[in-house]
Amino acid sequence: MVEVGVLLLMAVFALLAIHSVLLRLAVIYLAIFSLLAAFLYLLHAAPELAIAEGVIGSGLVTLLYLSALKRYRVYTIGFVGGEESRKLTDRYISEVEDSATLARIKDFFQRREFEPQVVFVSRSLEDVLSDPHYDLVISETPHGMIIYGRQDSYAMVELELMFRMQGAGSGIEFVRYAREEAQ
Amino acid sequence: MTGPESSIIRVVVGLLYPFILLLGFYVIINGHYTPGGGFQGGSILASLFIARYVVFPVEDIDSEILHLAQRFVLSLLLLGPVVLLFTGGVHAHPDYRAAYLTLMDILIGVQVGFGLGVAVLRFAFFKGVGESWRF
Repeated sequence: MVEVGVLLLMAVFALLAIHSVLLRLAVIYLAIFSLLAAFLYLLHAAPELAIAEGVIGSGLVTLLYLSALKRYRVYTIGFVGGEESRKLTDRYISEVEDSATLARIKDFFQRREFEPQVVFVSRSLEDVLSDPHYDLVISETPHGMIIYGRQDSYAMVELELMFRMQGAGSGIEFVRYAREEAQ
Repeated sequence: MTGPESSIIRVVVGLLYPFILLLGFYVIINGHYTPGGGFQGGSILASLFIARYVVFPVEDIDSEILHLAQRFVLSLLLLGPVVLLFTGGVHAHPDYRAAYLTLMDILIGVQVGFGLGVAVLRFAFFKGVGESWRF
């Protein structure tokens, strides 16, 4: 009975690892999968294999994947809300997270093997723009969104092209700034 | 290459570090009585190398020296059975069987730990080919 449950859980976590979009999440799902496999070995009275599976599957390989992911660049997108929504409530954040524009920007970076990470900031726009941690800054205005990117960033050119070619870029403006001037 | 370190990971791994080390040696030394052994304990020790890299990515262990030590231990590992087992030494003295197994376990543990450690360090500090370009 327990075995069937563990096997089903293993199938669930294997599917989750395959279908998760974020690689970091997939690594953690694989670690849980290995841990369940180790437990299954224990149920089948093979503690030696259980130790090997637990150590290598969920320890060594997970750490190896994580150290490999350190090279996989995270693209940090800062999101500055409009004046009236400075307070950043949960409802506002989930509304923005579900919006089509942000989904398209995230999809754009995922297709190019970058991990987009959206950070909601309650600081002023100038403050965020001068912060070197953000690769891209999106600011919401009553008319739409303004996307700020570095002058020498390739991503800005391609993002602009994508929005222009696919249309529906109403209210989206692109502003480039030089890093030196902003500081 | 890397951003600022997360203090949560640093503190937690720093706290767990001696316990993982102790577990690795326990698994190696008690390999012939309890589940575990050289390979499993060695993997636990090797995971310390990676944990150390994930927390504190500084190249201060020379992987060449580690590789040399690993090859030296490998030669000892091959020499051990030839000298102690095939000459009939261990069979003639059954009291020393546990000592022989423990010695072999320790050698296998060091061999596996150093070997995986070398592989990981080479992988982690591989500079790559060509310039990385800014997106």
